[in-house]
Amino acid sequence: MKQILIAGAVASTALVATVGVASAQACNDADRVPITWSTIAGFYTDAMAKLVSGFEAKNCVKVNVVNIDNSQLYNKQVIEMVGQTGAYDVVTLETSEKAEFAENGFILPMTDYFADKKAQLDDVAPTLAALTTQYKGDVWGLPYYTYTAGYIYRADLFDDPTEQAAFKAKYGYDLAVPTTWAQHRDIAEFFTRKKGDKLKGEELTKDFYGVGLMAGPFPEIQDEMSGVLWSQGADWLTDDGKVPVDAVEKAMDDYLKLVKFAPPAALTVTYDGVMNQMKDGQIAQTYSFFLDQWPNAVTTEQSVPGARMGVAEAPEKKAYIGGFLLAVSASSTHPKEAMDFVAYIGGHDAQMEFAKAGGTSTLMSVLSDPQFATPESRAKTGHFATLLKIFDDMKGFRSNLFDTPFGAKIYNTMQIPLQAAAAGQINARQAAEQLASDVEKICGGPCPIGK
Amino acid sequence: MSQSMSIPASQTRRPATMSAGMSDRWFSILLITPAMVVILVFALLPLAYALDVSFRFADLTRGRLGDFVGLDNYRIVLADEAFWKSVGVTLQFTVSAVALEMVLGIAIAFLINGATAGKGIIRSLMVLPLATSAAVTGLFWRYLYDTQFGLINYFLGLLHLPQPNWLGDYTIALWSVVLFDVWQWTPFVALIALAGLQALPKEPFEAAELDGASTFRVLRTLTFPMLKPVLFLVLVLRTIDSVRLYDAVAVLTRGGPGTTTESMTFYLYRTGLKLFRMDYASTMAVFFLYAMLVASLFALAPLLKQFSTRASEG
Repeated sequence: MKQILIAGAVASTALVATVGVASAQACNDADRVPITWSTIAGFYTDAMAKLVSGFEAKNCVKVNVVNIDNSQLYNKQVIEMVGQTGAYDVVTLETSEKAEFAENGFILPMTDYFADKKAQLDDVAPTLAALTTQYKGDVWGLPYYTYTAGYIYRADLFDDPTEQAAFKAKYGYDLAVPTTWAQHRDIAEFFTRKKGDKLKGEELTKDFYGVGLMAGPFPEIQDEMSGVLWSQGADWLTDDGKVPVDAVEKAMDDYLKLVKFAPPAALTVTYDGVMNQMKDGQIAQTYSFFLDQWPNAVTTEQSVPGARMGVAEAPEKKAYIGGFLLAVSASSTHPKEAMDFVAYIGGHDAQMEFAKAGGTSTLMSVLSDPQFATPESRAKTGHFATLLKIFDDMKGFRSNLFDTPFGAKIYNTMQIPLQAAAAGQINARQAAEQLASDVEKICGGPCPIGK
Repeated sequence: MSQSMSIPASQTRRPATMSAGMSDRWFSILLITPAMVVILVFALLPLAYALDVSFRFADLTRGRLGDFVGLDNYRIVLADEAFWKSVGVTLQFTVSAVALEMVLGIAIAFLINGATAGKGIIRSLMVLPLATSAAVTGLFWRYLYDTQFGLINYFLGLLHLPQPNWLGDYTIALWSVVLFDVWQWTPFVALIALAGLQALPKEPFEAAELDGASTFRVLRTLTFPMLKPVLFLVLVLRTIDSVRLYDAVAVLTRGGPGTTTESMTFYLYRTGLKLFRMDYASTMAVFFLYAMLVASLFALAPLLKQFSTRASEG
């Protein structure tokens, strides 16, 4: 009986799929429903174009993809949402922007849409889903890409017997992937060396640094610090909607202790700069760093002779959980088609294709697919297993920064005091106090938290 | 004789159709109407709107324009430490950049004016920095300034000189922006000053030479006084442009480290298009416009007076 039911279900699915394909094929270009997707330029744009074609092949829809520079995406989307222009049917949101867009009615809830697609929703890594898709009990879309942070390091340095012996002699414990931020600091200090010193027994032709930091004037500095702050049991905002000044000061202090072990360029770069430093053989490890950069980091093995890259969870198993959420604009004239598109891009088939192209999927079924755990796949998906561990270890975690409707504005502002401290312009306490003052100004008092 | 000297009546008249249908006054108005429409649509209406917004609550992410709040926005902006800090950065940048550009530009103009060959090529080369937008050349300079991979530090390293963190060190980041601006705009000053130099009459200089006047005396009593209107105009133009500093900051430093290089216009942009507080941003814009208007009136008054005197003499 069970087999009959399964066979029936398969047949029905095949029939529906065939009808769908047939209807899409039968569809004239003139009949296609146009929808527009605003997304980030440069982030697997080519892979996305293929996924879009896949959607168009199955649906009588024409998807216009508008690629926008990451630094301008938020501004442009907000302007179109406020003006209710309908310019974008599907928008791409950073984790901190979700609550603002939901609270202000810029995007449509998709709770009802997914009511009969629970399996698809459940496939999204639960930690990621909690932070990126949920707000005030509703589901607001699907994440299609995650840049959750972890730890990337030069495994060859860690495995070198000379370095291991020297490290143990200096610090009294074995050189290994750090499990605490204190160990991470020790490793950063240990590997910071001047030109002419030895590394792995060979004389350095240029300065070598213990850690790569994203301390430039970009929001990534707070992404880096988030894991450290969260591992203290604190958050950027307390449940009362205020910045915990003491906790931020401590996280900032820890960060400042690392700055001297980073290349001077740390003060001007973001993730791509750190990757350039890694590939140029300048740094031993990252701080809390975006794991979607793994395919980029692993090319260090070609650019630096003898290098071997490793990836692990960030110390103390807390790291920034980031994802690009696809949501449907409230001013969309074709919300049904837009929701279908979101479901397709965030769905299993498209995510499998995305992962094969080097994208970092958001789905448990993709991240845990055995084909991505093979040695052949390591260069593109060698970080998937680590991501699964991170999601597992951070299960149930929520940040108030992502649950306040002022999250995006705070996110766009907090880099300023943090970076000023990293550059030595102000101290950690001043940075924490300035952040508290800026956040209070943005929210007009304590920030509302809308869980 | 008098009759032969007079202008035929037909030449003094406008075409019959114009004479019949439109007076001189209306014809003049007709000619300037397109320009006025453009100014009205693209300058005056947005200005009126900005003025309106500056008296309202306007957080764009929380909907459309809100209620009138009187002078609250002005009170908040004028008490905003970050705003005044950005004003300070702008003034510091303007004074240093314009001073350097004027000194270097005038010096270069004198050098080119005295050159015997290659003037045309030099003039063409000098146009290059002006021909590209600051956004593009800024990107180019960002790579030059790069601490690790930049050409400037590479050459400094070859000479065993210190390799500064041009854009990351808060003590020099603003100077790096100034240096970029000086590179881009010194040729402008030089070209205008050169044009002024080449237009000077030769007779007074020949007379001074015959009288045996020293070079310094010629410069002090003849060259600079005669160049004054041109130099003053270029000074005003450069000052107005420098106060509007945005592109270079956006591309080179994004206002950082911290807010070290955050100019008034960049802060305005951040307030308006990152925080979406259009009320504060409009208030700053109105304040900025008012300050510029007052400064321009004071600065341009002597120049306008000179022009009107010349016109009345003519």
